[in-house]
Amino acid sequence: MFKRFNVKLAFLIFILLLGITLAACNSDTTSDDPSNDPEESTENNETENNETEEEEEPANDEPQMGGDLVGAMDTAPAGVFNPIFYEEAYEANILDFTHEGLLSQNENLEFEPNLAHDWEINDDNTEITLFLEEGVTWHDGEEFTADDVVFTYKSIASPGYIEAGGVRTEYVDKLVGYEEFVNGETDEFEGVVAEDDYTVTFKFAQPNVTILKDVAFSIIPEHVFADVPVAEMPEHPATLNAGEVIGTGPFAFTEMLEREQYVLEKHADYWKGEPYLDSVTWRIVDQSVILGLLESGEIDFIADPNGVPAADYETVAAQDHIEIIEQPDFGYQLMGFIHNHRTTEDAESGEINPDNWVANEDMSDQLVRQAIAYTIDRQAIVDELLLGHGSVINAPIAQQFWAYDDSAATDYSADLDKANELLDEAGYVDADGDGFRDTPDGEEWIVNLNYPTGNQLRERSAPILQQMIEQADIQVDLRQPKEMTAYVEDLTNNTEDWDLYLIGWSLGSGDPDPSGLWRTQDAYNFGRWKNEESDQLIADALTPPDAFDQSYREEVYSEWQGVFSEDLPALLLYAQNKIYGINERLNGVAPMPYGFNNDPHLWWVSE
Amino acid sequence: MQPNPQETLSTQPELSPKNNQAKSKSPLKLAMGRFLKNKMAVISVIFLVVIVLVCLLAPLFTNQDPVETDLFQIEKSPSEEHILGTNGTGQDNFARLLYGGRISLLVGFSAMFFTLTIGILLGSLAGYYGGKVDSIIMRAADIMLMLPFLVLTLTIIAILDNITIPIFVTIIAVTSWPNLTRIIRGTYLSLREQEFILGARAIGARDFRIILRHFIPNAIGPIIVNATLMMASYIIIESALSFIGFGIPQPTPTWGNMLSEAMNVRILRDHPEAWIPPGIAIFVTVLAINFIGDGLRDAFDPKSKQR
Amino acid sequence: MYKYIIRRILVFIPMLFALTIIVFGLAKAAPGDALTGQQLADPKVNPEVYEQQREALGLNDPIPVQYWNWLSSAAQGDFGKSLVFNGRSVAELIESRVANTLYLGLFSLFITIIVAIPIGIYSARKPYSLLDYAATGFGFLGLAIPNFFFGLIAIYFLAINLGWFPAQGTLSGPGVEGFAAFVDRIHHMVLPGITLGLAGTATYMRYMRSEVLDVLGSDYIRTAKAKGMSDQNVLYKHTLRNALIPIITLMGFEIGVLLSGAVITEQVFQYPGLGTLFISSVTNRDFPVVMAITLILGILILIGNLLADIFYSIIDPRIRYD
Repeated sequence: MFKRFNVKLAFLIFILLLGITLAACNSDTTSDDPSNDPEESTENNETENNETEEEEEPANDEPQMGGDLVGAMDTAPAGVFNPIFYEEAYEANILDFTHEGLLSQNENLEFEPNLAHDWEINDDNTEITLFLEEGVTWHDGEEFTADDVVFTYKSIASPGYIEAGGVRTEYVDKLVGYEEFVNGETDEFEGVVAEDDYTVTFKFAQPNVTILKDVAFSIIPEHVFADVPVAEMPEHPATLNAGEVIGTGPFAFTEMLEREQYVLEKHADYWKGEPYLDSVTWRIVDQSVILGLLESGEIDFIADPNGVPAADYETVAAQDHIEIIEQPDFGYQLMGFIHNHRTTEDAESGEINPDNWVANEDMSDQLVRQAIAYTIDRQAIVDELLLGHGSVINAPIAQQFWAYDDSAATDYSADLDKANELLDEAGYVDADGDGFRDTPDGEEWIVNLNYPTGNQLRERSAPILQQMIEQADIQVDLRQPKEMTAYVEDLTNNTEDWDLYLIGWSLGSGDPDPSGLWRTQDAYNFGRWKNEESDQLIADALTPPDAFDQSYREEVYSEWQGVFSEDLPALLLYAQNKIYGINERLNGVAPMPYGFNNDPHLWWVSE
Repeated sequence: MQPNPQETLSTQPELSPKNNQAKSKSPLKLAMGRFLKNKMAVISVIFLVVIVLVCLLAPLFTNQDPVETDLFQIEKSPSEEHILGTNGTGQDNFARLLYGGRISLLVGFSAMFFTLTIGILLGSLAGYYGGKVDSIIMRAADIMLMLPFLVLTLTIIAILDNITIPIFVTIIAVTSWPNLTRIIRGTYLSLREQEFILGARAIGARDFRIILRHFIPNAIGPIIVNATLMMASYIIIESALSFIGFGIPQPTPTWGNMLSEAMNVRILRDHPEAWIPPGIAIFVTVLAINFIGDGLRDAFDPKSKQR
Repeated sequence: MYKYIIRRILVFIPMLFALTIIVFGLAKAAPGDALTGQQLADPKVNPEVYEQQREALGLNDPIPVQYWNWLSSAAQGDFGKSLVFNGRSVAELIESRVANTLYLGLFSLFITIIVAIPIGIYSARKPYSLLDYAATGFGFLGLAIPNFFFGLIAIYFLAINLGWFPAQGTLSGPGVEGFAAFVDRIHHMVLPGITLGLAGTATYMRYMRSEVLDVLGSDYIRTAKAKGMSDQNVLYKHTLRNALIPIITLMGFEIGVLLSGAVITEQVFQYPGLGTLFISSVTNRDFPVVMAITLILGILILIGNLLADIFYSIIDPRIRYD
């Protein structure tokens, strides 16, 4: 086929190849320039150009009406735009604009008025009466009343809610009469009662320490869903379709190009005042190009849930037209120690019975766990892997909470000598001279480290952790990463030989209560940590009447953090920062510790 | 084509069927001769040998460990120590390029070899015996062909929770045997009624012997050509699967892994040293293999040469 | 002919059946299910909630029962509800994606045809010309570049740096309608279309070249020429017709390859088609969606093969099916 033109062809291909390479290199030098620019421009700060720019700013300080904004997220929402059924952060990015709760949280995570302007709690903390704003209208013009509140909570408490896919029962299961109602024994739900159009009372079966959190759920319109059985709600047009989703929020979800664009238009009659912006459009853009579009101005902001990756921080910061807001995230990554294994029978039946657990000999010694903790240079991980955009935390409570107490927890700063000392003390010494420590019985000691795929930073941290632990002559077997679902399945069953595991939790901002993750019986206590003192403290912190005093809870949580960090069910590796990238034309943005989409009716653009 | 003294002296294994031997030159040798006249193909062979050698002898070219991470050397630009800089885990890109080449080529080659084994086996059974065996195998092939290759592969990979190289290779082979099986079966069908086969049967040669001595040597042309092209496409498939996160997991280096790591605007722009080399490596290797495949096709099927 | 088509479809049904068993078995063999992953998103949600949902979804039933339930409702056109997309119906989820994938597939096929066939013919008529070299060179390039790599480079240079084409999506906004929407859609499909069509274009170009060369060298063409037929006539009356047969057959049978390519290409461009949906569903163990897509793709491939057969018989009257 190429008999006669081999040489020519080879030459041609060579030229093409060269062309591609050159084109690649070329554009790379040209586009490198802007990223070097900022250094120059900061030096040239006093040039006339910059001054005029600065002068323009004050003129624009007055919020202006009008303007459209484009935000980007890297994954499309699943498409269920109903607060009682949504499950993920991408849908939240839309619902944050369209729906509101009776209360909202301020920057100190305290609850403050929203749709309810005032409230009264009875003496034993079993009842709360909220007084609602008058004159609030839904997107379709109907008026918002106490009936909507009752309807929302009643829907969540309805039989069939869970089967229809709902998971928010934590907001209703403490209310009076929930059991009877959900089991279909009665049609009357006594837990939430409308006193009149603008007054609503929540009645709890027990004194409720987290009462304000529990009444702050987003409200859905009764007049839209009244005749819809809860089982059909997830498939109802008012849940799925743009233009039919109705809330009280400052923006209405009016149009969508599914999985590509989601358009929110202002709700002109918004009760807190007409929003400045005409519209906010969410575009779904792949992570690999999101940065390029932010730079080119095609998108105006990158915010929750993933923000700008730490590795891209410098590049984004170097752009003159992009501002960065950085704040700690709720949630953390951890390296857990498997204290106990479950038996195969337990894993099959799903029973969590601490009496059946089998101690994991590799990890059962507290000294060993502490020693391993001392081998990890977490500050270096934050500095290098997260490029400084994160923080080292010592207890599994988000650092933004009043309950977080760094001083109560043992600080495991990297200390190899200390680690070696502890291991020697525990009797783990190199008995056979192979360079690695062996068990006190003189048997070979191999610690395995397991991790899932799906989070690039976590995947990258695994081999680094392995190397750090090996510095203390501990033989580490870094297992092949597993896909998340399979990983969690194995972790939950925990019948194998696992020693160390990596996982991350993102936590709610409502309350610092660590139950659900760290009590002996908790399903997500993957390490099967058994510590009565810890269980008691977690319970104490929620036991009335003492627990109504926040300073008491603070004390109890401090003590618990001490217990946690001493007994070490897990070593907290880092809490990542959220990095928001915002085009400078966007003003009035005031992110809350728990999220970017705060008061969007006050956002405005300067053109 | 005149006999080439060098070729006569070559130590090629004697695969040719006896009846062809009478004509003094086996089809394999004839093809060999034709192949050697194809400059592009020969250059490609040399090129490929160089690539393979460089990858195999990786330790001679770099003293860096491709999987060792270095927390303090993350995404560094090229330096004396790290000729191509480092990646997001602080691993040396140059070492990963060389060692990754081993894996990519190994995956390509062994997947090809495995597919070939299945293909020849099933194709031979179907083509030689015909009847029920044939229809069972061909129905199975039809079912496999009804699904896009990638859909089946992705489903299987998603289900197996940890993917190692042998598993990965097996999955590829198991999902892509039907085409080759069909080709081989087709070749067999065309040979089945030919005189030398009938003759061999008449003298009571065993099936296995007939397949090994008569069928395979005569089908060797399409087999070799397809094998070559298959290897090229497997190298691309490995990289594509890595890209969508269904490849051989980190920290094992492969060219596909390296490319997919580099896929965001910042790295495309600021760290060309991280993606151009593996990109070019895949490209050049596949190109070379395709040239060789083409050369082989022309060599085995002289008619195509006029084209 | 009709008999033949019906017979093909009848043969196809048991195959489809076998296929669903394979895929269902694979989906069920996986550890964990779609809810396992969701569970982790919010540790505050009581795990029992998910257990109740599993029960309600029938995920705790014996596998043969689950298969039977799935099969009997699928036979009635009900593919069930997605486990990941908060219980949305699978049919509805897939509906819009099928259209997008078909548009992209047809568009890339269109590009392939208008590029590959004329160039292939030209190359064959003027072998060893500059264009022939360029085409052959391009053919090798097209086959040697992984298409995701090509796609990303294209996004980077043509969409982000030069801004000629949109980097992602199918339309510039929800409001676009009519002819503007058509143009907009094409504009959005240029990069993914070329990326998807690259390998195919390269293949068909080479095939076309060699087929035309083959036909041109055949006896009946020589005879036609000897009888004094003009070159144009020879080309259009005889050559093309005969050279196109294998190409069209190939296209019909290669629809599976095209769809495989679409999976990767759609992922690169985040194009909301079946491919991206398939990848996210298979990752999240959303097996009702996986099963439905598998079936749809199987059917698309069958249609492709059938169409190839039909075209074959139209273009080549010697072929008769009965």
